[in-house]
Amino acid sequence: MTSLTFVDDTVRQMSVHVLKANKFKTNTIVLQIHQDLREQTVTKTALLSLVLKRATEKYPTSQKLREHLDRLYGAVFDTDVIKKGERQILQLYLEVANERYLSDPAPLLAEGIQFLGEVIARPLTEGNGFFSRHVETEKETLKRKLESLVDDKIRYAAQRVTESMCHDEPYRFHPYGRKEDIDSITPEDLYEFYLHLVRTHPIDVYVVGDVDPEQVKTEIEKRIPLERKSVVNLNRTVILHPVSQAKEVIERMQVTQGKLNIGCRTQLSYADDEYVHLLMYNGILGGFPHSKLFINVREKASLAYYASSRLESHKGLLIIMSGIEIPNYQKAVDIMKEQMKMMRDGQISEQELKQTRATLSNQLREMMDHPRTMIDLHFNGIISGRHRTLEELLDEINRTRIEDIQRVSEKVAIDTIYFLRNHEQEGSSS
Amino acid sequence: MKKIYYDQLDETLYVETLDNGLSVYVLPKHGFSKTYATFTTRYGSIDHHFLPAGDQEVKVPDGIAHFLEHKMFEKEEGDVFTKFSNQGASANAFTSFTRTSYLFSSTDHVYENLETLVDFVQDPYFTEKTVEKEKGIIGQEIRMYQDNPDWRVFFGLLDNLYVHHPVKIDIAGTIESIADIDKDLLYRCYRTFYHPSNMLLFVVGSVEPEKIFTMIKENQARKGFSSQEPVKRLFPDEPEKVSKPKSEVELHVGVPKCLIGIKDSVKGLNGEELLKRELELLILWDILIGPRSGLYQDLYDQGLIDDSFSYDVTVEPEFAFSVIGGDTKDPDALATQVKDGIFRALNQGIDAEEFEVSRNKKIGHFLRSLNSVEFIANQFTKYRFQESDLFRVIPVLEEMSHEDVNRRLREHIVEERLAVSVVKPAG
Repeated sequence: MTSLTFVDDTVRQMSVHVLKANKFKTNTIVLQIHQDLREQTVTKTALLSLVLKRATEKYPTSQKLREHLDRLYGAVFDTDVIKKGERQILQLYLEVANERYLSDPAPLLAEGIQFLGEVIARPLTEGNGFFSRHVETEKETLKRKLESLVDDKIRYAAQRVTESMCHDEPYRFHPYGRKEDIDSITPEDLYEFYLHLVRTHPIDVYVVGDVDPEQVKTEIEKRIPLERKSVVNLNRTVILHPVSQAKEVIERMQVTQGKLNIGCRTQLSYADDEYVHLLMYNGILGGFPHSKLFINVREKASLAYYASSRLESHKGLLIIMSGIEIPNYQKAVDIMKEQMKMMRDGQISEQELKQTRATLSNQLREMMDHPRTMIDLHFNGIISGRHRTLEELLDEINRTRIEDIQRVSEKVAIDTIYFLRNHEQEGSSS
Repeated sequence: MKKIYYDQLDETLYVETLDNGLSVYVLPKHGFSKTYATFTTRYGSIDHHFLPAGDQEVKVPDGIAHFLEHKMFEKEEGDVFTKFSNQGASANAFTSFTRTSYLFSSTDHVYENLETLVDFVQDPYFTEKTVEKEKGIIGQEIRMYQDNPDWRVFFGLLDNLYVHHPVKIDIAGTIESIADIDKDLLYRCYRTFYHPSNMLLFVVGSVEPEKIFTMIKENQARKGFSSQEPVKRLFPDEPEKVSKPKSEVELHVGVPKCLIGIKDSVKGLNGEELLKRELELLILWDILIGPRSGLYQDLYDQGLIDDSFSYDVTVEPEFAFSVIGGDTKDPDALATQVKDGIFRALNQGIDAEEFEVSRNKKIGHFLRSLNSVEFIANQFTKYRFQESDLFRVIPVLEEMSHEDVNRRLREHIVEERLAVSVVKPAG
């Protein structure tokens, strides 16, 4: 599957990327607005994503809006905020059935683009602000979302290790922002912020499905009526961050399982030449069930159900994650450190290399079977400023040698060891 | 090999039941990079009491189907994951209430991977030592779920809904129950439930059906399975009424969670009737409490729910239930208002226009699901074990009337079959 590529274009100072693929029974549209991840705007952006999906001028109540979507054969619509490196991305997502498979020939793609246009360009307002009652409700919703981050302990531990590592960098912020900043936001502030954001910040619009790129371009021009000004330049994410000494952070809570996360700096990101070597490093260390962490922490020592590692490719972090019996903390840390040392010593077998090439390549090729992951792969190129096609990635994977991985491993250093544990004292069992 | 073409969906399915009883299905998906295959036995967490043909009645420890799933990956020569990784596949398995499924996806070496899948599932290897070692790993899996409030509130609800039925048992069992598992028990369950006649192989992706059938037939013929009578599964009589109407547990959470469940009476249903029951319930809940309903909007405006609020239904021949709920600042108020709202709807009935909108929505969502090879394989298998057919979803929806959903409303919404489960912040 090599022929699938996005057609790139510009409409109203928005970058438009269309991919024609007839294997899907729906059309997917994603609109992504970039900005710097910053204390002053992170919370407003999160709140904005919630307010925008409540209502528009044309569909002034949530009920009318939801009814309209349901009538479009259950179009799936959502908004979200994510971070990619030190950028916060506000996403609008819509997926709608391809009318080819329906007995009713409704023009669903055009309707879908029209709808996203209503949401982003014609929101429901009141005076000089957003409709205030919706803003009030969504402030409460956002607070609750932030309060509930602790509920999923696996994700909570991942967020906490990142926060501890990046305590003086913008990357510490959760894309949902900060609870203490919510109360002071007014409907007027938020509206002013919204206007500035959609007029002056980079926007990428993606469309994937059995579509005609020219028609898509025309529909976007007509149906997403944003008044765009010149587009601002955004900061580059800071990757280089030497580590002098590893920190240890212990947090106590009423839990039965301990969550051990080790945060490492890699000094490398998606834009670097050595990025694919880092992908291979992560794959051999902890990306797969044949990886060192799975084999040694889980299968050999029987210490954990999950033990893996993953990359934050746009920030240059590598995070090891596992859930363990609390008294096994030191044992697990030692085994994990030992695996990293083996990587540095080049104790990587030909089999591990071969397996990781094969499974990593497979993982990347599988991305071509889902509209959202196809978009992600392309969007990684936009964010980093370095485009790699699937073929280039696969080729680099195949050319990666053990020495390359060993060279990368010299750069990977433990920054923070984070442990979420129970309240009992050391030594007593849980 | 039989070929079935679904005109509206533009999909072709190839089918054959082999001499040893194994059902094989292949759905080519051209244009897809990957192939996804599942090899599934009709054996899940609820099958803990059974009568193998020509043998004695057995009751096995809770969590054994899941334990067996874990242990299938370990062989005398090592871990099966190693083999899959060599062949560039991503392999996994899961155990549900009614099924154990082994699967892989790969974009390369598809036929080797398929052979690996079938061979490893048909070659059990259990020793005392490896069984004991697994208790540590599964113990951590159980602890992980103990700390997961969504899991706790869900199993809390099943425990309230059901008095006797084993669906209330945690799929992984407990640390205590898995302590009783040994290699002999595993072999016994394996022999009972892993005969090809109790299993289904589904392959979907960029494949050639003829080649797959030839390969699988040769593979199975080599293994010389003798025929086996179906196992008799024993289930207790479950009363109409719930076990207890409400329960609460305290955990370290930031926001309370509340689920409202209704147990349905499905005794004896299967085939298309069961599929229709499931679709009626999904449409019913979309109308009553989906995001465009008045009730949803009212709860949202009061700040009682957010977008974590949702509904789902589980419909199997031996049990069925609906679950509604999510995060909420006030579980008691949410439960009361949901109950009031659905009983109000019971008096008013459902209107034909609303039914039309929900039906079309469901059709659109079904088309969306068909983008996913994982959905196709897993759901096809589930429905096949219920003697119905995934590809009948759209026709059944098209034949449904709003009166069917009204009847479902009247039969499903019954006070004594409703229970509530809550997780509250500790302290």
